[in-house]
Amino acid sequence: MTLPSEQERKERIDRGIKIRSDSIYAMMSHRELSYLTLPRLILIVGMLMIPLVIPSMYWQRVFTISCIYALLAISFDFLAHYVGLVSLGGAFFVGTGGYLAAIANTSLGLPPWLTVPLATLVGGGLCTLLLLPCLPLRGVYFAIVSLMYPLFLARVIEALDILGGTDGIMGIDSFPNHWVEQYFIICILLLILFGARRLVNMDIGLVLRGVKDNDQAIRASGISVTFYKSVAVFIASAMGCLSGACLVHIYMWSGISQFALDFSIIPIAATVIGGGGTLVGPLLGCLILVPISELLRDFGTLRIVFYALILVAFIIFRSEGIMVYGQRKYHQFERWIKY
Amino acid sequence: MLEAKGLMVFYENMLALNNIDIKCEAGQIVGVFGANSAGKSTLMYTLSGIMQDIKKKEEMSGGERITVMGEVKYQNETITDLKPSQRARKGIVLCPERRRIFSESSVLENLKIGAYLATRSQAKYTLEYVFKLFPALEKLKKRIGGFLSGGEQQMLAIGRALMAQPKVLLLDEPLLGLSPLMQATLILATREIRDEMNISIIITEQYARPVMPIVDYAFILENGSAVMEGTKEELMDNRDIRAAYFGVEESYT
Repeated sequence: MTLPSEQERKERIDRGIKIRSDSIYAMMSHRELSYLTLPRLILIVGMLMIPLVIPSMYWQRVFTISCIYALLAISFDFLAHYVGLVSLGGAFFVGTGGYLAAIANTSLGLPPWLTVPLATLVGGGLCTLLLLPCLPLRGVYFAIVSLMYPLFLARVIEALDILGGTDGIMGIDSFPNHWVEQYFIICILLLILFGARRLVNMDIGLVLRGVKDNDQAIRASGISVTFYKSVAVFIASAMGCLSGACLVHIYMWSGISQFALDFSIIPIAATVIGGGGTLVGPLLGCLILVPISELLRDFGTLRIVFYALILVAFIIFRSEGIMVYGQRKYHQFERWIKY
Repeated sequence: MLEAKGLMVFYENMLALNNIDIKCEAGQIVGVFGANSAGKSTLMYTLSGIMQDIKKKEEMSGGERITVMGEVKYQNETITDLKPSQRARKGIVLCPERRRIFSESSVLENLKIGAYLATRSQAKYTLEYVFKLFPALEKLKKRIGGFLSGGEQQMLAIGRALMAQPKVLLLDEPLLGLSPLMQATLILATREIRDEMNISIIITEQYARPVMPIVDYAFILENGSAVMEGTKEELMDNRDIRAAYFGVEESYT
């Protein structure tokens, strides 16, 4: 038998610089300043550099689509980890935003600079309104309803042959050129990412996290749970509609494939891989997953197998996700000690 | 019978149990007393093996690192690395804090789930015994678990643990939030269980007074360390202990 005094234990300690940088003293030295800003700077500069580094138009387009998925993934992560609503409605948001932008562009003749914000706000409101009935409920209802809407809308468009029917709406204006298109989406993505991180730490973010932990206690504090949930759903669905609106302007076409389940599933997978609750993780997950799924396109249906294997491996071996793991390694160090 | 040596548990860098040696002989009722955060539940989780489960979950989700050191022995056999289900098979059954009954199943169903490890005749016999021990449960046997009162839920939790045919029963704060009358009922029932089923019981509680009459040996935990142990009489002789855990005030003259 080993005595307790002979046993060793691996200890995790916050880096001193992390402890100091949690307070205002982070401004004391360049080293501590850079400790805080470096990861953020790498992300921002990296995102802005990628289109310049990638040579081919094809892969630039893949990167843009990854950013579109990243918007959806951030919206999923926000709802799931900060409000406690598991949304399968990525396709619903993309479809609504996409069709709204398409209609505004082709019927009203508005340019992309107006259709995108319009589709974002109107789409967000519309989605929130349609999801409102299941917001006072807890449990799987929100997930189920948000999953059913895109199927429902796609069939309605198909059956009634409205909005272009199965052919979709064609002849939508594109962005002026592909550089504008890329940098517009990258900037929007970065803005939303940092905005969302700020939001969840503000007062409203505290209430939302409270709703996730214990909605009864929130009600007992005199706060309307349904109101705050609908605010959160509006924010998340507006993000989704924004990505949908960008998507139709990229493709110059809007069709019922905008309601495809891919838009619901890939963001969830990216959140699992990237690390839920970090908001950066889903972005990272999309930048990994979407290109991989493009690379595997040559394998035909076999790519689903590879894709599934990657996901299962992640869930088994690193279910915390890349970013949670990475943040821990960055902020803490480990050492063996005699207990 | 059940014995822990040099037990140390860390939640990340926080020491939850500090070098605890605890022993429970066959047929004994052992009390573990201490305030909130003294380490009572941690001790129960470690003895029943649930700690391994918690540890694994934390590892998977990138949460706290839990370190368990020391040795748990049962009938002279080391069980430190056994899973909770394997320990339950050997007869170490936990009745968890806050009852944790299956709130959507009826009383009878709750008891039947508890009897997973029992043979058919054992289950039948124990069910009758539980209803004899807690006649209130028999009247409520069709009732959904979540609609029971706190005391009834606690009876049900103890009953469910008994259905698993324990040789060592671990009761984690069974008196939590109950009226003095209900406390007395449960304490008497606990002694009856020991006497009739001939098993060992380890019972934790914050306030020692209601439990003390039935224990044979007791430990007092403070911030993870066992600051005092002894028989009922030895503990009652200590003035500080009397004041802190039995609510018996007396002037220091």
